[in-house]
Amino acid sequence: VRDVAIVSFAQSPSLNGVTETESQMLFPVVVEALERSGVARADIGFTCSGSADYLAGQSFAFVSNLEVAGAWPPISESHVEMDGAWALYEAWVRLQHGDVDTALVFSSGISSRGDLREVLCLQNDPYYLMPLWADHVSLAALQARAVLEARGLDELALAHVAARSRRAAQDNPFAQVSGDERADTLAEEPYVVAPLRAGDCPPVSDAAAAVVLVAGDRAREVCERPAWIRGIDHRTDPHYPGVRDLTVSASTRLAGQEAGVGDAPIEVAELAAAFSHEELVLRDALDLDDTVEVNPSGGALTANPVMVTGLIRIGEAFRQINEHGKHRTLGHATSGPCLQQNLVCVLEGDD
Amino acid sequence: VSELGIDPDGPVRFMQQHIALDYVMRVSPVSAHFADQLREGRIVGQKCPSCGLVYVPQRGFCPMCVVGMGPADEVDVADRGTVTSFTLLTPIQYHGQQEREEYALASLLLDGADGTVGQQRIVDVPLDQIRMGLRVEAVWAEPDKRGEGDRAGFGFGEAITGWRPTGEPDTDREHFKDHVL
Repeated sequence: VRDVAIVSFAQSPSLNGVTETESQMLFPVVVEALERSGVARADIGFTCSGSADYLAGQSFAFVSNLEVAGAWPPISESHVEMDGAWALYEAWVRLQHGDVDTALVFSSGISSRGDLREVLCLQNDPYYLMPLWADHVSLAALQARAVLEARGLDELALAHVAARSRRAAQDNPFAQVSGDERADTLAEEPYVVAPLRAGDCPPVSDAAAAVVLVAGDRAREVCERPAWIRGIDHRTDPHYPGVRDLTVSASTRLAGQEAGVGDAPIEVAELAAAFSHEELVLRDALDLDDTVEVNPSGGALTANPVMVTGLIRIGEAFRQINEHGKHRTLGHATSGPCLQQNLVCVLEGDD
Repeated sequence: VSELGIDPDGPVRFMQQHIALDYVMRVSPVSAHFADQLREGRIVGQKCPSCGLVYVPQRGFCPMCVVGMGPADEVDVADRGTVTSFTLLTPIQYHGQQEREEYALASLLLDGADGTVGQQRIVDVPLDQIRMGLRVEAVWAEPDKRGEGDRAGFGFGEAITGWRPTGEPDTDREHFKDHVL
């Protein structure tokens, strides 16, 4: 396996109701990521993006998004209809070919133009769940109930996750919601869908993010503290939630094992847990104990730009190494209802 | 059992599933600014400070150079130009179709711009006389009719209702051969 490092990361603030077009929202973010990378745009060997046109309701937005990559003369590029974390995975695979050394990864999502609880119904199977309009918040609530019952926890356990996330987000200028409420205060909020309360659910977010990858020694030439991708893997649970044990995440556990999470201590984990109970499931699946700092950015509970959330997690895990002197971190991304598909990326600094 | 072979008492073999998704489109600041100028009867493009290409409608950054463009980069573009390509449309009367007669949409290379504007309605000319190279000018809506719809951010909105021939000699193909799509 060829060594590949993240050398730069940029993101826009998450907000509900961006007025710019998707490509205009991406433009400053991609420019910033490239400037920080020390890699000229013309030297990028491969470009991969992640987005879903259903979110903003604009067909072929993913094509005009390419305008931020300067796609003339023609460039080598690809797109995934997934979170940008999977675009990063494809770029990592592309760099394994060995003929190009640099890759630009970006993703964008404008969820605020539609009703996310309707739009995300379309990710369900068309025969059994789609006709029920089983929305992602209701499905998450079913999972939350199963998780609480299986662990013998009450709803205050969820509120503790929410309170800690909102406190952490106070120091994150890109987060959308933050606060210093106590858990027992959040546990008195009305339900959104029981047992999930407002603090246990993510905001509707618009945002963009970009990452630059460089392979081999060149990463050290352009970046003082690159974050090496030591392991990256993604796995999928069955699509239909009814055939899964929703209290655990087998796909996350497998992806974590394949990515080598347990090979050495993890200092910081950025988990794409968009609902409070998902953090409990993911911590177990990755065997993260209390020594691991989880979501110092505030995580997906405080900003959840669908299609971008996972790439931001990896970007934040990179920042922990690049800016905060950590040595070993991980970023997680998820897709589908109830943590159906999961990606785990383990990053390490040089020292 | 019906003509289609559907037995109402038999097992379910088909199901209809109607999906309607509603979106609220917002006008970007760049498009809103462009629309304000259209209401004044001006077509204002943006000239890339790096490569010099002139874009209309305005787009905020040059997709070739990936550099920003703002008010300092604005240049006036003529409200006349050349048909570089066109298509004749025969409206099928599907639900919601507003068109009844055959009509033409064209790509136009406006004088002073470096890229075409697509899907522009050609008017005041028999359809069989529309051709590549035809010179046309804007038919502006009355100022009070250049409504809020222009802020949708797509093309020229309601400010320009169509483009009619100017009577000038056709543009030489050499001038627009790179813009026929």
